[in-house]
Amino acid sequence: MVTAYIMIKAHTGDADRLKEDIAAIEGVVDVAIVAGDVDLIAKAQVDTPAEVKEIAANQIQGVDGVEDTQTYVAMH
Amino acid sequence: MRFVIVGAGRVGLRTARALRDSGHEVVLIERDPSTVERVRTEGFEVIEGSGSEEADLMETDLETADALGALSGDIGTNFIACMIGKHFGCRTVLRIDEDYREDIYRKYSSDVDEVVYPERLGAIVAKNALLGGNIRAIADIAQNLQLVEYTVTENSPMNGYSLSELELPGDASLLGFGKKDQSIALPSDDYSLEAGDRVVVLADFEALADIQQIIVGDAAPVAVGGA
Repeated sequence: MVTAYIMIKAHTGDADRLKEDIAAIEGVVDVAIVAGDVDLIAKAQVDTPAEVKEIAANQIQGVDGVEDTQTYVAMH
Repeated sequence: MRFVIVGAGRVGLRTARALRDSGHEVVLIERDPSTVERVRTEGFEVIEGSGSEEADLMETDLETADALGALSGDIGTNFIACMIGKHFGCRTVLRIDEDYREDIYRKYSSDVDEVVYPERLGAIVAKNALLGGNIRAIADIAQNLQLVEYTVTENSPMNGYSLSELELPGDASLLGFGKKDQSIALPSDDYSLEAGDRVVVLADFEALADIQQIIVGDAAPVAVGGA
């Protein structure tokens, strides 16, 4: 099991919709709207590192209103 | 009143000056030592420290402040300063760094009473300067709705008509009227429109050009010279 935290920078104020869309992605177990340089943080739990990349690079980045993501894989 | 300003940079320092000019008591908190020194020479009380550290913030006597303005360039610092300020009973104002975030912070943060985006106000001022003397954008009320002050010119098609005869296009509303050199008041039908009078209108962006034609007129000369 791989756990990853994905920092998400938006370019829309429609944070509710972003949160819903991201929470609906398979493998994403939690999403929070946060204050600071990024706007949301998603937690993903999947079987392989490749799936982390698929979620961050393809699925989350594909959500309308997402500008950029940064992924951090948990070590333990 | 007594105010705590987080950040003594472009926005924070100017805000502090404006408050002091209005007779209020201001204390700033600033991280950069050289900025602290410079602002102290202006006679301001400045605490050297971080607005996101409660211990530093407490040195401003936060409990006795009426409001806290988190006006640094760092939105993370600003947000935490507002959380601490709200805990100690201050009204809180948060400066944001990108305009789309305005809605997010307004909606989700109960610790923030007001959100300010200084660049938007700067853009309105710049726009007014570019438009010239006869049109003044007062505020963007919503994405497509603007409050605008127009000045009637000699070339205006409505010059000489009364306010009751003024028909604004696009469901625009007439909100205020001021005779030349007098202050703006609520509009009354009896007034006549003459060169130099000002008309305040709430209108959709799409109707602005038409309203300008009716009130200001075509080829309106820029800034009719006065006295």
